[in-house]
Amino acid sequence: MAEKKKMSVAEMLAAARKADGGDGASSAEPAEAPPAEAAAEPTQAKSPEPKSGNPAPAKAADGGRMSVAEMLAAARGGGGGAAAAKPAEKKPAPKPAAEKAKPVAAKKQAEASPSEPRDTASILAAAKKSSKAGPTSKAEAAAKEKADPVPKAKPQIVVPPMPAKPAYAKGKAAAKPKEPADETRRGFLNMGFWLLTAVGALWSLATLKFMFPNVRREPPSKFKVGFPDAFPSGQVQTKFKAQFGVWVVNTEVNGHPEIFALKSVCTHLGCTPNWLEAEQKFKCPCHGSGFYKDGINFEGPAPRPLERYAIRVADDGQIEIDKSQTFQEEMGQWEEPSSFIPV
Amino acid sequence: MHGLSELQFQDLVSSFLGPYYIALALMNGLAALYLWRSGQTKAWFNLPGSIGGKRVAITNVVVWLLVAMVFAVLAAIAGSGNTSIASLPEWLREAINNSTGPVVYSVGSSAVLIILYLFRGFFVRPAIAWAIWNLMWLFLGLSMTDPDFYDIVAKPDNVPIVMLVFLLAFFTWLATYRAVINDERIANGEPPLEKLDDEKILVWPDLVYTELICMIALTAFLIFWAIALPAPLEEAASSVKTPNPSKAPWYFLGLQEMLVYYDPWMAGVVLPSMIVAGLMAIPYLDFNKKGNGYYTIKERQFSYIVFQFGFLEMWITLIVLGTLLRGPNWNFFGPYEHWDAHKVEALNNVNLSEYVWQRGLNMSLPGALSFSDMPWIPLPAWLTAFLNPFLQFFSLLFGRELPGTLLVLGYFIALPPVMALTVFRGFYQRMGFIRFMIMANLLLFMASLPIKMVLRWVFQLKYLIAIPEFFFNF
Repeated sequence: MAEKKKMSVAEMLAAARKADGGDGASSAEPAEAPPAEAAAEPTQAKSPEPKSGNPAPAKAADGGRMSVAEMLAAARGGGGGAAAAKPAEKKPAPKPAAEKAKPVAAKKQAEASPSEPRDTASILAAAKKSSKAGPTSKAEAAAKEKADPVPKAKPQIVVPPMPAKPAYAKGKAAAKPKEPADETRRGFLNMGFWLLTAVGALWSLATLKFMFPNVRREPPSKFKVGFPDAFPSGQVQTKFKAQFGVWVVNTEVNGHPEIFALKSVCTHLGCTPNWLEAEQKFKCPCHGSGFYKDGINFEGPAPRPLERYAIRVADDGQIEIDKSQTFQEEMGQWEEPSSFIPV
Repeated sequence: MHGLSELQFQDLVSSFLGPYYIALALMNGLAALYLWRSGQTKAWFNLPGSIGGKRVAITNVVVWLLVAMVFAVLAAIAGSGNTSIASLPEWLREAINNSTGPVVYSVGSSAVLIILYLFRGFFVRPAIAWAIWNLMWLFLGLSMTDPDFYDIVAKPDNVPIVMLVFLLAFFTWLATYRAVINDERIANGEPPLEKLDDEKILVWPDLVYTELICMIALTAFLIFWAIALPAPLEEAASSVKTPNPSKAPWYFLGLQEMLVYYDPWMAGVVLPSMIVAGLMAIPYLDFNKKGNGYYTIKERQFSYIVFQFGFLEMWITLIVLGTLLRGPNWNFFGPYEHWDAHKVEALNNVNLSEYVWQRGLNMSLPGALSFSDMPWIPLPAWLTAFLNPFLQFFSLLFGRELPGTLLVLGYFIALPPVMALTVFRGFYQRMGFIRFMIMANLLLFMASLPIKMVLRWVFQLKYLIAIPEFFFNF
């Protein structure tokens, strides 16, 4: 095998088939066998497929199928498989390990099929089943450990005893127990509650600031709309709505004919209602609030009547509307003389 | 359609419906092919006779193939311009228009959801679900030939809502299907489906690659969508001209619908904040450890019902209502009704205090108290000036608005203990006082919305507590 050449999938499968089929030659010279074999060693006890009547413990390794992950690992090694196999062979450990595995293997012998060519899908399926791909949880690892009586074939690294810790290093190193997932989730939500509070506080502060703008640019609040006889009885004059946001209405309120200026802002949520001439009502397009011609709310969610602006007949006889002052019906302010012009 | 003659509209619709029905035919054909190839053929009916000694059965494959053929025929009919044949009959559309209203819509959708929930074992069966799925598409296709329906549904703004209905139907079916299977398995002492195949996969590369592919596919889809359905450009904004109807973004239409029934302060600030805080409180309130990592309904019945009520009923159906059925002046329009800005609907609404004092007791509304009416109280003028608003407010709250105040206080104060003693006894014992009270109040707030809607429909009730003088309405 080339040193740095990666295996193609086909090569890997071929190797797997070879291992699976229990090629006698490969078992004789395990060191030269494809990386599959060397990598197969740790799994041999779990999924052996020995040939019947072959007593050599190494044979058990031949039948050992690899997991996909192992195959990939071996392939990534780029021929390192063969190199890796050598130290494994040199070690004394694998042999007794294999021997121990033998009874297990023998038990499974009955179900294990004799060597014959297999199709790719079954090999992959078997490889997937025999051992989990990817990381395993602690519980799974423990279960695997239990099921697998073979000691690990890795060389034991002898670590010289550490010198005693000096006094200043002690005490600090108390390892924190790892929080279970549930706790961290609550911690996250906890943080969320604090964030909500913080955002609420910031929002309140910003609202407070909003109350005191740096610059106020407003059109003059007083304007003249014409002589009173331009507003015939029963009419809602809508032509000032676009520029000034006001309807000038001439109608009867509680039996008294009056001219007054209604503010064109819905008392529910501040949309601009429309005057519907056919239905003789103001109707808000946002949530369906409706108001009579005199501004009294009667349908939809609006909680109170439309507001009035201050209105008066100026010295030149024209009607003057003052937007700086509003009059609310529910406060009894529609009685005030500056909220209407009697006709 | 505005500005389109009858013929132009027919051309437009038939050019859409032809490919639409072909796609549906393909969908059913592929389903039949899949069932056949994967060996899931099932005999549904046996034909009476026999051919060559063999009994002939109508299998599911045959049925879906026939459905595909029906769609293919419809594609030919509708695609060739004969839209009048491939549409719902006029009388049916009229009947649907006349019978729908906010009440029928809301009560009907609740009833349908309850039926689907109760008989979920039947409705999640793949054949039944597939039939419903086909009927939904067929209904949409047959309705498209109505100009008023087409006008609303094909509006670029509303297309995602139509997609949402179908996607939600699919995903709700998927989750319920798995939950029903799991519930059966758990009842038989077997582990749930998700435990059978819990092979862990790697974040890199498996998950990250999947996410990358999804990202690219979604981006491609959005680009296609943006080209096919251009976003509408409307006139310049003006503070004195509100579009009619004026609609919130689609995901807020549930809130906008709430605003029809509640004061803006309640529906715009208090209830939305409670939704956010309540959702965040769920992990603290939930004591049921089951259902972690697998679909189940029986093991988490309470959580499931509460969630689906809040999501499907209070959120999704209201979004659909707000998008497709609310027209000019926020009036309700039937699905095949023309959006007439001058539709007159009598919506006279009355406050509870007016009901009680004026209609019940035949007297005028009690007014607010004021210190100026009570000169015998020996308080300095500056103090009475300061205290006057408070006196006014509370005298209104417990005077004029007493009936509503009692009702609301009773609802939020008296009901939780009653719940703890009766239906939620087990919950109270397991949750303790504080957790139970929080949960009970969140539940009551959620329930207050449909209650208020029903009161509005049945009694034309505007507000239980109406103190517009202080902007306090409930």
